Amino acid sequence: MPGSNQISAILQQALAAVASSASLKDLEAVDNRYLSRKNGLLTSILKTLKDIPIEERKTFGAAANEARLKLEEAIAQAQEGLRTSKRDSSLDPTLPGISHKIGSIHPITRVIEQICQSFYGMGFTIARGPEIETDYYNFEALNFPPDHPARDMQDTFYVEGGLLLRTHTTPVQVRTLEKSKPPVKIITPGKTFRNEAISTRSYCVFHQVDGFLVDEGVTMADLKGVLVAFCRDFFGEDLKLRFRPSFFPFTEPSAEVDISCFLCGGKGCQLCKYEGWLEILGCGMIDPNVLNNVGYDSEKYTGYAFGMGVERIAMLKYKINDVRLFYENDIRFIRQFR
Amino acid sequence: MQLPYSWILELVNVDWPAKELADRLTLCGTVANASPFLEEPLDNIVVGQILEIEPIKNTDHLKKAMVSTGSETFQVVCGAPNAAQGQKIIFAKIGAKLKGMGELKKAKLRGVESFGMICSERELGLTDDHSGIMTLDDDAELGMAADEYLGVKDYILKFDLTPNRSDSLSAIGIARDVACLAGKEIKQSKFELQEISEKSSDVVKISIADTSACPRYAARVIRGVRIGSSPWWIKRKLILSGIRPISNVVDITNLVMLETGQPLHAFDFRQFGRREVLVRRAKQGERFTTLDGKEHELTPEVLLITDGEKGVAAAGVMGGLNSEVSSDTADILLESANFDPITVRRSRMKLGISSESSTRFEKGADPNNVTFAMDRAAYLMQQYAGGEILSGIIDCYPEKINPITIDLRPSRVNAILGTDISKERMIIILKMLQFRVKDKETLEVTVPTFRPDIAREIDLIEEIARIEGYEQIPSADRNIGPLYTPLHPNDTFRQLIRTSMTAQGFDEIYSSTLADPKLLTKIEPEKAPIAIMNPIAADFAVLQSSCLYSLLKAISNNFAQRNTDLRIFEVGKAFLRNESATGDLSPVEVDEIGIALSGKSDDQWFGKGRERDFYELKGAIDSFFEFARVPQCIYRPEKHPAFDDSLVFELIINEKRIGFAGLIKNEIVRAFDIKQTVYAAVLDFNIILNSRQPENYYVPLPKFPSAPRALAVIVDETINVADIISKIKEMGGELLEAVELFDLYRGKQVGEGKKSLAFSLVFRSKGRSLENEEVTEIYNNIIEYLKNNFKTEIREG
Repeated sequence: MPGSNQISAILQQALAAVASSASLKDLEAVDNRYLSRKNGLLTSILKTLKDIPIEERKTFGAAANEARLKLEEAIAQAQEGLRTSKRDSSLDPTLPGISHKIGSIHPITRVIEQICQSFYGMGFTIARGPEIETDYYNFEALNFPPDHPARDMQDTFYVEGGLLLRTHTTPVQVRTLEKSKPPVKIITPGKTFRNEAISTRSYCVFHQVDGFLVDEGVTMADLKGVLVAFCRDFFGEDLKLRFRPSFFPFTEPSAEVDISCFLCGGKGCQLCKYEGWLEILGCGMIDPNVLNNVGYDSEKYTGYAFGMGVERIAMLKYKINDVRLFYENDIRFIRQFR
Repeated sequence: MQLPYSWILELVNVDWPAKELADRLTLCGTVANASPFLEEPLDNIVVGQILEIEPIKNTDHLKKAMVSTGSETFQVVCGAPNAAQGQKIIFAKIGAKLKGMGELKKAKLRGVESFGMICSERELGLTDDHSGIMTLDDDAELGMAADEYLGVKDYILKFDLTPNRSDSLSAIGIARDVACLAGKEIKQSKFELQEISEKSSDVVKISIADTSACPRYAARVIRGVRIGSSPWWIKRKLILSGIRPISNVVDITNLVMLETGQPLHAFDFRQFGRREVLVRRAKQGERFTTLDGKEHELTPEVLLITDGEKGVAAAGVMGGLNSEVSSDTADILLESANFDPITVRRSRMKLGISSESSTRFEKGADPNNVTFAMDRAAYLMQQYAGGEILSGIIDCYPEKINPITIDLRPSRVNAILGTDISKERMIIILKMLQFRVKDKETLEVTVPTFRPDIAREIDLIEEIARIEGYEQIPSADRNIGPLYTPLHPNDTFRQLIRTSMTAQGFDEIYSSTLADPKLLTKIEPEKAPIAIMNPIAADFAVLQSSCLYSLLKAISNNFAQRNTDLRIFEVGKAFLRNESATGDLSPVEVDEIGIALSGKSDDQWFGKGRERDFYELKGAIDSFFEFARVPQCIYRPEKHPAFDDSLVFELIINEKRIGFAGLIKNEIVRAFDIKQTVYAAVLDFNIILNSRQPENYYVPLPKFPSAPRALAVIVDETINVADIISKIKEMGGELLEAVELFDLYRGKQVGEGKKSLAFSLVFRSKGRSLENEEVTEIYNNIIEYLKNNFKTEIREG
């Protein structure tokens, strides 16, 4: 039969164990050993109360309870002490955290989305079209007559059935205008194909974002306005733009847009080939023939159109020197773009 | 095209430096780039004269020469076969830097000291000609700096011209733009022809069988020329324009073409069997050798210049070998003609030849410039090759092409450009461009025939904008058109796929969608792919009929680079033949989502890596579907040629197949040079998009506590977890809130062919707290139900 001195012996033992505990884990073990409800050394003594003579029960029970409270307090104090004062030296904050790897969006998507984002804000929305096209949509409706030298500007892949792989996303302009009523304000991101030898500077596949607006009273000044807004949004506020006359069969007047080199600020560097300018996109007022081809009255409606190469912009933006990297899909390349 | 800067200055008097001239041209649409002709200055190189020359003994070709530069005399060793006493030559002194030779030093050859060098054109960096030393005209001034004498301290203007501007394919054409920008006039070259009394029309007859292909053919006859080399000023212009000098007659035709834009051709008239010119289409199978020595079998697509019998030139493309001017040619038939652009384009495509001449005709030459160019060439030939010019031009021009007149509304100009240009300014610009303008309310503008690109009012508007300068067009600070158009669900779904897959650790790939038919056929043997008629390479010869191709290609590329732990996805495309019965044969483009994984995740400090497997693929698809509010899909065993029969499922949503998932066949993986297993899924973008659920409404949070229970069963391996769960749910009724598998165990304790499955069950009522007893009752019912439905053992609950 246990006595009060036995209680105090267990308590002393337990308090010593608390004192020598170096960690919360150790304290938990002490707690378990002495205070576990099932078989703790102190708690099981209380379970023996019924075997003790009635007259001793009260004092013994009180002593046992007191010992339990004392131990509980000592454990709580020790826990507090360990929590507040002592650092867990086994915790190494330089170890990698336990995390979950995040994948990367391909740089082509990244650039397309950034371009589109800029135009959403100005009221444009996306339209898409087939990549296998007819000669009509890819060329004729866009004012490339058969046997015209302008066709040499775009080396074409032909597929069976007299069809071709679109050489630009501009056919989407025709398809969209055909089934819409003005005003129409669209951007057309997508894949395009050119039958060109593969090198560091050119690939047989590339992406384009074209855009256009058709409405009453659209002028070339509006075209300049929207492109100045886009280029500053995309490349930087301090940018200068230069519009140069150019030629595209589907626009008249046509222009090529250069931006001041964002790397050297126009002073001349390797990126801009010491020109100070970077050619960034082509644009112009939609040719009346194109509008007439889709059944619009070109006297009443005018419009502008622009187009840019996604890979080219990505190469300038990220200083990528080999266009083939986009299609090799080496994950070490893709993961560089976060 | 390239031209020397000095040539433009000869034609129009401007004081813009070369770079500025190029920039100004660029800004008016004639893209030009100026760079110095000489990479290195010709310092220490001067005009000299060979005073004496004698062979060096015991050498086969070396000579010792004494060269005077006027003030000094130098001894040099020279190996050139053409060096001769009295010649004026270019002499490089010690210290001169010669092309590809570095700095010239004193040398000793066969015991003879040499204090310089007599230069060839190649050594001076002028041409590739190294056949002999360069010899100068007799009046060359001794001691004069060579670059000055040669006129090579010049700039090259390289032009990148747009295909519509045929008018700028000449020095005069470029000068017209410069003159217009500077507000000046062009200086036209003046000359007077000396003709003999004999008429050329008595010597040769011209007839055109196809006048739409050849609207005009003119010729002159020059008799008794002496073929030799051109004077330096002609050679210089050609060299600086990137054209190799050949002989005086040929050089002059090239020179005049560069000057005027009109291609010319000189025939050796002696080779004309019949004294006539007949322009006709070639006969089917007719053979003809162009002067580059290539023999062609012709078709009627090719327009042929003939002597009435045999072909002597492919019209507008290239002359024939049989009538080429050679060193003993004496009588010249000089052709100046106008050919239809499409005819020339088809001819040169058929012949596979592109020439300076075909480029100009194809873009549209001026039919009314024909005689000016020919007279200019005839004049120069007489000057520099001698001979007599027969009187008159034989000019076959059945229907004169007249300038067109276009109405131009000044208000329309400003309406298109968004500018405020005055009518007066418009008239000035148009007149500077050599257009004739009748000043009425609507301007009547007559366009010269050298501008075939100007046919409509809008074309004139562009001309005004181009010359006025695009920088004069304001940048409008307004937003017009619709302020908002919603994005198509297709586009928001694309973004969502990418967000979901990258969040799960998958990297996005992009593919060309051009495929190698040999590999593709292993993936989709039953679907004949759409072939490209003119592929750039055998492995790019068809369009992919499944997104699995691009996934495997990407894994293959990575595997070759030893990137072995791969989780990738693509929002891609498959191109299929149309198999519909409607008779519409246009191909079908199917948007696909491709997902693939392969390899093993890395070991980390807190745990070992894991082989990528089917469950990880399924988990990725499940998470993506959950994220995208796509209903749970069913995996039904099915076969697919790309996947191993042991592990392939069709994925079903709402009774519709949305794609396949499984283990790629080992044989296919090997064919792509991948030496590890690949799990992949190919999903139909649009079916999934259309099965997306609308956003949820809020459901009130539970008010009453739940009663959790656990249940473990041992069943045969053949029984699917989903079947057990559905039975549990059936019996659990509406009080069973959730069932989830939390443990799966196989091993000795459960026995061969069996598995132990542990489920957590959550019971809850919406309206009250559940009593322990009623939960136990349902729980026991579930156990009974499972025992009745499956051969199962129930373990401790």
